[in-house]
Amino acid sequence: MGAGMTAADMQKSYIKIFGALMVFTLLTIVAAKFVHFPESWGGLSTILHVTIGLIIAIAKAWMVVYVFMHIKFDNPYLRVFIYIPLFLFCVLVFALTVLGGPTL
Amino acid sequence: MSSALSLAHEPVTGIRHGKLGMWIFLASEVMFFSGFFTAFIILRNSNLSVFAHGASELNWPLAALNTVNLIVSSLTMAMAILSLEHGNKSKFQLYMGITFLCACGFLVIKYIEYTTKFAHGIFPGTNSFFGLYFTMTGFHAIHVIGGMLPIGWMLAKSFTKRGYQDWERVEILGLYWHFVDLVWIFLFPVLYLIF
Repeated sequence: MGAGMTAADMQKSYIKIFGALMVFTLLTIVAAKFVHFPESWGGLSTILHVTIGLIIAIAKAWMVVYVFMHIKFDNPYLRVFIYIPLFLFCVLVFALTVLGGPTL
Repeated sequence: MSSALSLAHEPVTGIRHGKLGMWIFLASEVMFFSGFFTAFIILRNSNLSVFAHGASELNWPLAALNTVNLIVSSLTMAMAILSLEHGNKSKFQLYMGITFLCACGFLVIKYIEYTTKFAHGIFPGTNSFFGLYFTMTGFHAIHVIGGMLPIGWMLAKSFTKRGYQDWERVEILGLYWHFVDLVWIFLFPVLYLIF
């Protein structure tokens, strides 16, 4: 497990991450359901909602991977299994949205 | 009992085979779900009104409750691994039990969501949005069930006379379980929220 981390330290960091995940869940709901941009913004409002939703989701995912899945404490070699699929996925999403035309 | 996992460390990576295998599997799972997200982006961009209308018919408070369910179960899974690593059997049983119950709760809520949709005459074939909604959440639910089987097995085994001490196996299961939570972290905003 984590170098120099006691069980109590680990437990503390798990609970911190748990709290952060709850707060971010609340945040993403508020941003999507209770924050309304002016009608005149049109498509930009949708783009903003999608972007905010995805940024919060990526932040949550990172916390889960980093602490719950022990990437923070484990052999750094394992990070290759995150960075490569993540990179490919980002390329895919970028190609489909930003390069895919003004349909967003 | 743990012969498959207690092999000498792989000489190059220094990572146990079981854990390395799970990470490779999870990388392939990322690809698997990426396919659905790709289909979602392409179909959404050519059917914006269908997708906006479909998403507005989903019950997001129930999905939010399910998000909490999975986050709690992720925490308890991490705690269960920690407890077993330090030989605390009763805490391991408590945390694994909560994890299992959260997974049950997730499936019950999913069942309510699905049956409500069916009652309103909404099926996977209704339109492209609901086709993807049922496919993505359905495959995710199958992953939840797939996780519950070993969780239940390890939990049941820990109540036997021999008990269950193999915390490294639980850690590998934990990787999978956190990944299931991770997929939901993306499904929740993409399907329910961002329209």
